[in-house]
Amino acid sequence: MRGQLLEFARPYRRRFLLGVLLLVLTNAFTLLLPWLLRGAIAAIERGAAAAVVGWYATAMIAAALVQAVIRTGSRLTILGASRHIVFDIRNRFFAHLERLGASYFDSHRTGDIMSRGVNDLLLLRSLYGPGVLNLLNTALVFTGGVALMLSLDLTLTLWALAPFPILFLVVSLLSRRVFAQSVAVQEQLGALSTRAQENLSGIQQVKAYVQEEREAAAFRELGAEFRRRSLAMATLRGLMLALIAGFAGLGTLVVLFVGGQHVLAGRMTFADFVAFNATLGLLAWPTVALGWIVNVFQRGVGAMQRIQEVLAAVPDISPAGETGADGPPLDGAIEIRGLTFRFGGAQGAALTDLDLRVERGSRVAIVGEVGSGKSTLVNLLARVYPCPPGTIFIAGEDLAALPVGRVRRSIGYVPQEAFLFSRSLRDNIALGRPDASDEELSRAVALAGLTRDLGDFPDGLETIVGERGFTLSGGQRQRVALARALLTNPRLVLLDDALSSVDADTERGILEALGRDLRGRTCLLISHRFSTLAGADRILVFAAGRIVEDGTHADLLARDGIYARLFRRHLLQERLEEVS
Amino acid sequence: MSRRGKSPAGAPDEEGVLGKAYDARMIGRLWVYVRPYQLLVGLSLAVLFAVSAVQLVQPYLLKRAIDGPIRERRPEELPYWAALFIATLLAEFGLRFAQLYLLERTGQNVVFDLRNAVFSHLQRLPSAFFDRNPVGRLMTRVTTDVESLNEAFTSGLVLILADLAKLVAIVAILLAMDWRLALVTFAVLPPMLLLSWGFRVRIRAAYREVRSRVARLNAFLQEAVSGMRLIQLFRRQAHDYGTFTAINGGHRDAELRGVRYDSAFSAIVDLMGSLTLAGIVWVGGARILGGGVSFGTLVAFIAYAERFFRPLEELSQRYAVMQAAMASSERIFGLLDTPAGIVSPADPVAIRGRLRGEVAFERVSFAYEGGEPVLRDLSFRVGAGERIGIVGWTGAGKSTLIKLLVRLYDVSAGRITLDGVDLRDYRLDDLRRGVGVVLQDPFLFAGTVEANVSLGDPRIGPEAVRRAAAMVRADRFIARLPHGYAEEIRERGVNLSVGEKQLLSFARAIAFDPAVLVLDEATSSVDRATEAAIQQALDVVLRGRTSLVIAHRLVTVQDADRVLVLHHGRLHEAGTHVELMARDEGIYRTLYSLQSATG
Repeated sequence: MRGQLLEFARPYRRRFLLGVLLLVLTNAFTLLLPWLLRGAIAAIERGAAAAVVGWYATAMIAAALVQAVIRTGSRLTILGASRHIVFDIRNRFFAHLERLGASYFDSHRTGDIMSRGVNDLLLLRSLYGPGVLNLLNTALVFTGGVALMLSLDLTLTLWALAPFPILFLVVSLLSRRVFAQSVAVQEQLGALSTRAQENLSGIQQVKAYVQEEREAAAFRELGAEFRRRSLAMATLRGLMLALIAGFAGLGTLVVLFVGGQHVLAGRMTFADFVAFNATLGLLAWPTVALGWIVNVFQRGVGAMQRIQEVLAAVPDISPAGETGADGPPLDGAIEIRGLTFRFGGAQGAALTDLDLRVERGSRVAIVGEVGSGKSTLVNLLARVYPCPPGTIFIAGEDLAALPVGRVRRSIGYVPQEAFLFSRSLRDNIALGRPDASDEELSRAVALAGLTRDLGDFPDGLETIVGERGFTLSGGQRQRVALARALLTNPRLVLLDDALSSVDADTERGILEALGRDLRGRTCLLISHRFSTLAGADRILVFAAGRIVEDGTHADLLARDGIYARLFRRHLLQERLEEVS
Repeated sequence: MSRRGKSPAGAPDEEGVLGKAYDARMIGRLWVYVRPYQLLVGLSLAVLFAVSAVQLVQPYLLKRAIDGPIRERRPEELPYWAALFIATLLAEFGLRFAQLYLLERTGQNVVFDLRNAVFSHLQRLPSAFFDRNPVGRLMTRVTTDVESLNEAFTSGLVLILADLAKLVAIVAILLAMDWRLALVTFAVLPPMLLLSWGFRVRIRAAYREVRSRVARLNAFLQEAVSGMRLIQLFRRQAHDYGTFTAINGGHRDAELRGVRYDSAFSAIVDLMGSLTLAGIVWVGGARILGGGVSFGTLVAFIAYAERFFRPLEELSQRYAVMQAAMASSERIFGLLDTPAGIVSPADPVAIRGRLRGEVAFERVSFAYEGGEPVLRDLSFRVGAGERIGIVGWTGAGKSTLIKLLVRLYDVSAGRITLDGVDLRDYRLDDLRRGVGVVLQDPFLFAGTVEANVSLGDPRIGPEAVRRAAAMVRADRFIARLPHGYAEEIRERGVNLSVGEKQLLSFARAIAFDPAVLVLDEATSSVDRATEAAIQQALDVVLRGRTSLVIAHRLVTVQDADRVLVLHHGRLHEAGTHVELMARDEGIYRTLYSLQSATG
């Protein structure tokens, strides 16, 4: 991990070098203050003219001003570098996510990926920024401060520094326990939240079973444990902070008692005594910060590890496949030979020994139960998942060997769930063709049967939709997704139950319009609607990863198999609807 | 920071608004929760003042030690002052610890009560409230808002009081020691406050900007991760990478702006301290030379000046804490002020002995808030001990019947009676104990298997639990669990199968022995063996009580005394299975043939 941490910092090594230089200067000027103070006190002791004291004070003011400027610069340099580094890592993170295939996102929850991209990057920011800054600063303050103190009085320095190792040890010991306890507190807070979440999600049942009071009592118990743990935490933290404060005072005590004796014995001037006290004061905070620094580095390394896990995930599709030579769009003839496909980690095969030929320009409907492999086939065709080589051929070419870009350019795929981005309707539709002209857009909108709906949206095509925007109905969203696919002018259209929320009449209208427009294009559509199925050139019935029936609507009814049974059920349902 | 990080998409707007740091009305309402701990609060305050006092004594001791033994060369006195100094150190250590602990303790106690009050109140709010308020928002009340109040205790109001007291004390001490030197020390105060105020405003604005950029960045990232398949399918990687980099860059630049103000501000605060030091040396030096003050006074002044600046720097931080706390209490009390809605009547009808179990719907209509009517003018009667099947197409209003029967919602018009008494005239608890409910997806509570049957009712002992389990044959799978009846149910029963959960909820119904049982038949498919076990158990459960079974498979209602067919919220047909099958164009018959057609 140290390698990775350094690698991301490397582009900014000059910046860090400058930061170190500025910090050295900052600390030099900081230490100038006790030194000047010493001069001033010595002058007063000598009974020098007030002007001399004034000169020292002026020098102190000048030193302080210069120091303030340099300090600002050093912080800017190093903290700024941390922001640039995090910017780089975040970009890398995003770029890598874009290359990862669907299987990665199937096995990693969004929340987990987000936590790495958000919380872990915050931890890294702390490491590169305040972590590095304070580490360097502490080292420099100690070096300079101790040197100055040694020059003032050797034995007093040893006396004064004696408590520091103990302080450091105690603080680092305690801070480890504080950290462990804070984890325990967070855990209990998590338990408390989970309990509340469960309760609130099932509130109706809680009420129906008259469990309100028991639930409240159980919650109270968890809360009491949380309070107990928080107080244990407060005890540790209180102990640590009180100790730190006490130790800071201990330094003053040593200077007062030992230093006082040195002054009385004439081994030290009073000016040195005051300057020594002032210098010692400068060391207190950096010592305390050490415990914090160690913690920041530990957590930062853990964060780097978690981010590295994402960056190290291998994409399904090789970079060559991603960027391989492009070519003209593929036409929509499909041939599948002996395709067996199994999801990673799954027991059974999703598709078993599938053979299929679809002529260019035909419209093929697919029907079957949930989990019968319909969506898997469509996903493989769109290369959402990588297909085994030599099993799927589009326009006569092995899909697995084709550059992904070319495949996707030729295919218009509308997935089951119509996902809209929180952008304008225009951006959502033009997702694959940001350069599309207004005419092209309105043609796609019209084909998807959206033209009339546009009037209902506050800003027409510029309406912001999605989670944070205008809420579209399920049917509207599906039609937006369809328009999005049609805009790319694909040779092969794949509709994965993509119009399920659109009412049957509208769907029929859309499909008719598509039929006129789709001439020459192949269309594979998964559907449960018989109005849709019946209109197809051919119907495939899927069951348990195989095609069990294949033919036209009339053929399949005549066969009296699964399709015919489904159709009868549909007729009954229709009758039921008519009762009202 | 970590807590905020957990909601990466950024909290909804209402959570972010900050206003007053002190709101007398809110403080007044909070006081109700603080009062039980007023002793603790008083003690905390006392300790806080004591800490300040001890801290203020130390520079004075330093002054006396310098002026006495060191400057006047009286070495024999040095140990005396050192001992005094040690005493103050020990006192500071003990008092500071006590202060930190007591404040946390006060805060935790108050917050504990408040959190329980919020949670208990949530238990009493009507179902309609939960339809309006997403769980996530309510969770924020119970966790984040309550925590921010705790922070108000540990680093808010009380400390502000202590800090102010400390400042006043320092001012007094310095003026008493040497008013001229004191004025020099304070001279830096106006520019310091002005600068501090100016910077704080800018820093806060900068970080507000950062927060809104973070929200945008994370929202974009989240959406990209969720919609990655589309980004790839439509070959938008390069384009979206560009957008992301731009947003990321905007965020970085906002942060850099914040860093700039931050860096300058912290340097300036340091500078003010150094300037004060220089001022004290300059004027103090001249005063020593003129014989006006002693060296000890000079050193003490330097030490006091340091103690003077720290609370000033922290004040603005404490101010922000108080702002957040006020906003949180506003939201918490807003929730606590929401009326409970469905409550027991003031003068409830007492239930003597066991209910007979006669249920009647009299012209009942019902619509969910802002929705279409779900039930329309529905009337039917169920005799004591009768077994009723309720069937209908999805959306016919079947599940709503259950919710009305246990008053999760109240009818919009008409009334429902139990043993001839309007449901609304019973005590809520009595009603819900008299009408048992078994739902489609049986709800399991956090706790043991045994507690999930007895639900903690003292009248249902371990014996009764085992008897009930045996009656529905749940005892067999319970025996196979590693800890048997003491097995902990995890996350609403992930460690149990659907069938097992079902049996457990049947055992619960048996144990409680309600006069009326409403059962929403499970739709999830189970294997044939489990199915048979459930059917058997069902017969046991329904015996000897009025039952309304909402059936999804018509097999279940074939032996019912009567079947009610709901359609679009109205009673469409009623009769026995045989009667209903005799109707040519009936819904029941259609449904029946539909189910047999698909097996």
